[in-house]
Amino acid sequence: MAANTTQTAPSTNSYGGATEGQVHENPEWEKARQALASINKSQNTTKTAQATATTEASQFQQGATEALQQQQYYQWYQQNQQQYPGYTYPYNYYYPMAPYGGAYPPNQYNVPQGHFPGSPATNGQPASTPFHSSQNTYNPPNSMSYQPSDPNQMQVYNHSQGRSGYGQGFQSQNKYPATGAPQQQPGQFGPGAGRGEANKAKNQKQGQQLWHRMKAPGTAALKFNFPKRPYQVPCSSANQAFSSGDQASGVNPSPSSPAAATAAPGPQDWPQAMKEYVQRCFTACETEEDKDRTEKVLKEILQDRLKDGSAYTIDWTREPLPLKAKSRWESQRSSESSMGRGGSTGAASRGRGHRLGNYRNIFTQRSPSSSSSHSSSRSPSPSHSRHRDRSNQRHRRFNVYSDSGSQSDSSMSSDLRPQLSRRGQKGARGRGNNRDRGRGRGSKANRGRNMEDTSSPIPKKRKGGNAGLDFHDPNREAKKQSRAARFHKQLRSEPLVLSINTLELPDGTQEGLNWEDCPIVGTCQDITKPYLRLTCAPDPSTVRPVQVLKKSLEAVKADWKNNQDYAYACEQMKSIRQDLTVQGVRTDFTVEVYECHARIALEKGDHEEFNQCQTQLKALYKDNPSENVGEFTAYRLIYYIFTKNSGLTTELVYLTPALRADVCVAHALSLRAAWALGNYQRFFKLYLQAPRMTSYLIDKFVERERKVALRAIVKFRPDLPVQYVQSTLGFDSLDSCMMFLTGLGVAFTAYDPQKIDCKASTAIL
Amino acid sequence: MAHITINQYLQQLYEAIDNRDGAFCAQLLSFKHPHVANPRLQLQSPEEKCQQVLEPPYDEMVAAHLRCCFAVANHDFVEAYKFQTLVVQSFLRAFQSHKEENWALPLMFAVTLDLRIFANNAEQQLQRKGKGQPGEMLEKAAEQLMSCFRVCASDNRAGIDDSKKWGMMFLSNQLFKIYFKINKLPLCKPLIRAIDSSNLRTEFSPAQTVTYKYYVGRKAMFDSDFKPAEEYLSYSFDHCHRSSQKNKRMILIYLLPVKMLLGHMPTLQLLRKYDLMQFSDVTKGVREGNLLLLNEALSKHETFFIRCGIFLILEKLKIITYRNLFKKVYLLLQTHQLPLEAFLIALRMMKVEGVDLDEVQCILANLIYMGHIKGYISHQHQKLVVSKQNPFPALSTLT
Repeated sequence: MAANTTQTAPSTNSYGGATEGQVHENPEWEKARQALASINKSQNTTKTAQATATTEASQFQQGATEALQQQQYYQWYQQNQQQYPGYTYPYNYYYPMAPYGGAYPPNQYNVPQGHFPGSPATNGQPASTPFHSSQNTYNPPNSMSYQPSDPNQMQVYNHSQGRSGYGQGFQSQNKYPATGAPQQQPGQFGPGAGRGEANKAKNQKQGQQLWHRMKAPGTAALKFNFPKRPYQVPCSSANQAFSSGDQASGVNPSPSSPAAATAAPGPQDWPQAMKEYVQRCFTACETEEDKDRTEKVLKEILQDRLKDGSAYTIDWTREPLPLKAKSRWESQRSSESSMGRGGSTGAASRGRGHRLGNYRNIFTQRSPSSSSSHSSSRSPSPSHSRHRDRSNQRHRRFNVYSDSGSQSDSSMSSDLRPQLSRRGQKGARGRGNNRDRGRGRGSKANRGRNMEDTSSPIPKKRKGGNAGLDFHDPNREAKKQSRAARFHKQLRSEPLVLSINTLELPDGTQEGLNWEDCPIVGTCQDITKPYLRLTCAPDPSTVRPVQVLKKSLEAVKADWKNNQDYAYACEQMKSIRQDLTVQGVRTDFTVEVYECHARIALEKGDHEEFNQCQTQLKALYKDNPSENVGEFTAYRLIYYIFTKNSGLTTELVYLTPALRADVCVAHALSLRAAWALGNYQRFFKLYLQAPRMTSYLIDKFVERERKVALRAIVKFRPDLPVQYVQSTLGFDSLDSCMMFLTGLGVAFTAYDPQKIDCKASTAIL
Repeated sequence: MAHITINQYLQQLYEAIDNRDGAFCAQLLSFKHPHVANPRLQLQSPEEKCQQVLEPPYDEMVAAHLRCCFAVANHDFVEAYKFQTLVVQSFLRAFQSHKEENWALPLMFAVTLDLRIFANNAEQQLQRKGKGQPGEMLEKAAEQLMSCFRVCASDNRAGIDDSKKWGMMFLSNQLFKIYFKINKLPLCKPLIRAIDSSNLRTEFSPAQTVTYKYYVGRKAMFDSDFKPAEEYLSYSFDHCHRSSQKNKRMILIYLLPVKMLLGHMPTLQLLRKYDLMQFSDVTKGVREGNLLLLNEALSKHETFFIRCGIFLILEKLKIITYRNLFKKVYLLLQTHQLPLEAFLIALRMMKVEGVDLDEVQCILANLIYMGHIKGYISHQHQKLVVSKQNPFPALSTLT
């Protein structure tokens, strides 16, 4: 923000002459203006060159200042940018309340479109160009509108627009950073306050925000302008702002480099009382030195107040004016100057650059009330100022570095830090690459400035040897914090790439890879092969082709019949399955393998393998209908009974009439119906008639169902012969039934051990 | 709005984000909004434009959204789904950085809703091409929604007005829709637990609550917890907006079977009003103990009932039908000692196949066990002995 101020102020001062008359018509305004102008001056005096270079951008940040600048720029732009017709758009937004607004077509939205074709492509950044051009061009109407030195109009501009309205724009931008690091500036950007204000000035704000958004790249450029070289890459789009203003520049050859920094706007929602306090402080100053001092002290005070939130609670009208702080400031100043220089050698990170932007914006906030003023003591001296500006530009850059660089992380909240460091690295890179570009741009900016110089006076005061002050910013901490707080407000530094590669497409295979896409054909001739889970791409020499696998399957089947060695059979089957999968073989043979393995697994109660096979079979049957579809569908249905899974309902949807007619499926369906109604009689009858290997599956839950059934059977009965239970619950012998009953602790009648004592048993069950 | 340029669109978005205008943001990123049909916004590579106006991760979110518009315009829903996933992911990044504020909730609702819809469409598209496992897309979408849900549910810091927890119910409703579709009902459980343990559970909007209770009620029904199911579904039906006749009908499809199982039969007017005449014969069969009619009605409308997922529930009505049938037998015989033969004859009259005395005994035992009949079976005498007082207690009095 400091940067911001520094830049704006000079321009204000130097060109203010033209508007002076009208400014004076509003004495209040004039006061504030002078006060703020003096604030700015202390830092800015030496930086005229940069200021000019960046004025175009900076003016957008400073509602009031703009007015003045616009006048000068107007001519300049007239010369350079007549091809931009779009200034009506920003103007409209910027002065929504002004009567002239009506003169401009309200279709602001069209402007960007218009710009596209209209804007010269020299920039190589078509996308960003419209924004910049609109920024630049909006000036003419602006200045014209208030040229007539209409005091009311000025007031409107300054107070409703320049202050609250303008602040709104910033405020909205600040919200994000503020929320991102809420702890850092709890009071300053209170969401509630921000919102309230936003609503108040809705109309204005919309325009403002749009406007801000539009200019975001431009403002960013401002920031990075001082530390030209290091920040070149990130702010290429920012640079555009300048280059577009200054059409000759071929400075920004890389169109794709993103707008590195979003404008990090100033604190828009300072309490009104505080703003007035600031003005009071400055009006109390008698000399320029006083103002300088006041400014620095004020910055500290305000920062602290904002930080701890007391800015919103204390009575600013009673706050003592800070002029006495002189001595302290003096000492600070000397110490900081050394620090500043030391810091300048450190690599400036992009993150710092961004904070720089924020730092500028703090001032921006202040400037709306004062920026349009200019000090009458300043006298035009274009050549001189130009000369000095150049040298100062360099100084300034260093200063910026030290400022931001030395502060880097210390005041950041922990959540900000990682980002910061990351950004920092990028920034360092960018700096190296873009040194030249930065320089070029700087000089062009100067050129542009020179043109302005010819038409406008340059303040004497600025030339005064205040240059040294730039190195000593007593409020580094404060600035750093505010910068850090707004750190989040950044555009992407590297080209956005939408990456959806990470989202893998679903495919038909269990393994998550589509083997059919990269078919291999095995060459291995071994009949048997141990199973090894694949961890890398399969080697054809270890994969068996289908002909071999057919032999393998027969071998495994034979071995299973003879030896019943499940561990061996399972491993061989898995290895066959793997070879089939790897080669993308999905044929009848594959179905056969899976069916075979499923049956073996079912027989041995290996759930896991059985389910794997079932899943595969379900998919395989779609393309390779097998005569066993019914059998395995029945298994699936019965498995649902076992798991009591509600997926049974959906399974029913897919049962075709033909499938329902299948013996196994029909059996499974009636079994399910009997089970659902608790018809144990029928359920166990069906259990005993189970086709194929269904009974293996039912075995898994037959005990469970018997228990449930027994509970119903014995309820409210005198007694019951065990034989009845045996037949009803599908026991193949009385003994096994007795074992089941005694296992549950069922009580038998005293007079006949073959009869169940139902009353006693009910209690047990 | 429908014909704005990309720049205007981005400006509006920027503004909406700046204003924390969640509702407007939501519109600008929703596929319910006409801007998605604007050919000027259907861009194949909107990345650069987006990143010039918006800060990350919003730029990515919007760029992905525009790519998504492009994909939808090309009827490529798989692509659309992938980009919508990106939208949700980048949204979530932004959302997580919103400390103690929840203005973006409408935006979350919009992008997550679209994600689910695209997952659905993408899946259908894949299935038509014969690719992909059913449910795979939806499952992946559910993962995304779950990560949103976790962010919302874990927002313990913010005050109640700014809490992201307000997003929980919407997300769980979306997740319910997916879980019901892909048949992963057990996954609903943690969601229900999270909401029921939340102090906001009674504070959510009526619309969301109606949807929530609808799914929780359906879940309870499938878990055979008919009492809570009736409670949830009744709430849902009673509070559903009167103009949402379609939704009321959907609720009724599940509320009716549950009510019938609990002994409350729907009137014919109700069935007529909501065009649910498929239930009329079912109701009639159950009420009259007419097992034959019930079976006919069930098989006649089997596809409808199976599609609604209530076939298996309606099947349970047979038990009540047995009870009503047997009550008629009892009333006819005017005695408390009923020969099992009599029930066998009644069942045979209803054309129950392969029924025998043992099965009669089994059915009776079940009815006694469930409390539908007060009495006992004398195996020795092959008789049902019923209580002299209220042998067939009203269904609604059963616990």
